[in-house]
Amino acid sequence: MRHYEIVFLVHPDQSAQVPGMIERYKSSIEGANGKIHRLEDWGRRHLAYPIKKLNKAHYVLMNIECDQATLEELETGFRFNDAILRSLTLLQKHPVTEVSAIATATAEENKIAESRAKDAAAKEALAATAEDADDATDLDGLDEELEANDIIPE
Amino acid sequence: MARNIKRKKISLVGSESASQIDYKDLDLLNDYITETGKIVPSRITGTSAKNQRALCVAIKRARFIALLPFCDSHK
Repeated sequence: MRHYEIVFLVHPDQSAQVPGMIERYKSSIEGANGKIHRLEDWGRRHLAYPIKKLNKAHYVLMNIECDQATLEELETGFRFNDAILRSLTLLQKHPVTEVSAIATATAEENKIAESRAKDAAAKEALAATAEDADDATDLDGLDEELEANDIIPE
Repeated sequence: MARNIKRKKISLVGSESASQIDYKDLDLLNDYITETGKIVPSRITGTSAKNQRALCVAIKRARFIALLPFCDSHK
């Protein structure tokens, strides 16, 4: 069976449907005794030029091995699915399983975005506790704590 | 005209074979397009004819998938 590399772009508003679409394509490929060698979801990316007046699209990359009938089924699916803006199907000579550079770049960006979100959340939490601490300036409580701490080492 | 060749030569010199040039490898492709998005001629970059052909195909595919622009003033 032949090896193909397929990249397709999905309308960004239909990003939620992408996993479902991928599952459908997977089942149709595997139902026909094909294999999926690589499946990458690059997520929403900014386009280099507007397509149908959209500036972002959801990219998906698949490297599959299947027969011609399945491929035609996939391609007609792309053609008649309004959510898919563009697709590129290429014939490959060998299966490809390495992670692409774009996938690693998007993974790093997601990590950075997550860590930034965590920092922001942590800062908000700190700000909230700082406000509470300022309100309750209990120096009396400190004496009790110090006495309590003296007891513990003994 | 011939004197300009010495100015900018990225010249791969076997560092990338034509089979490794991938349309998804934007870091590589960005070295071979101008600021306006045009493909740089091989007499300036010093790439071999074979690599230049592979680069052109990769850049055109990347343009189709909107990973690279066709020009700098898209609207």
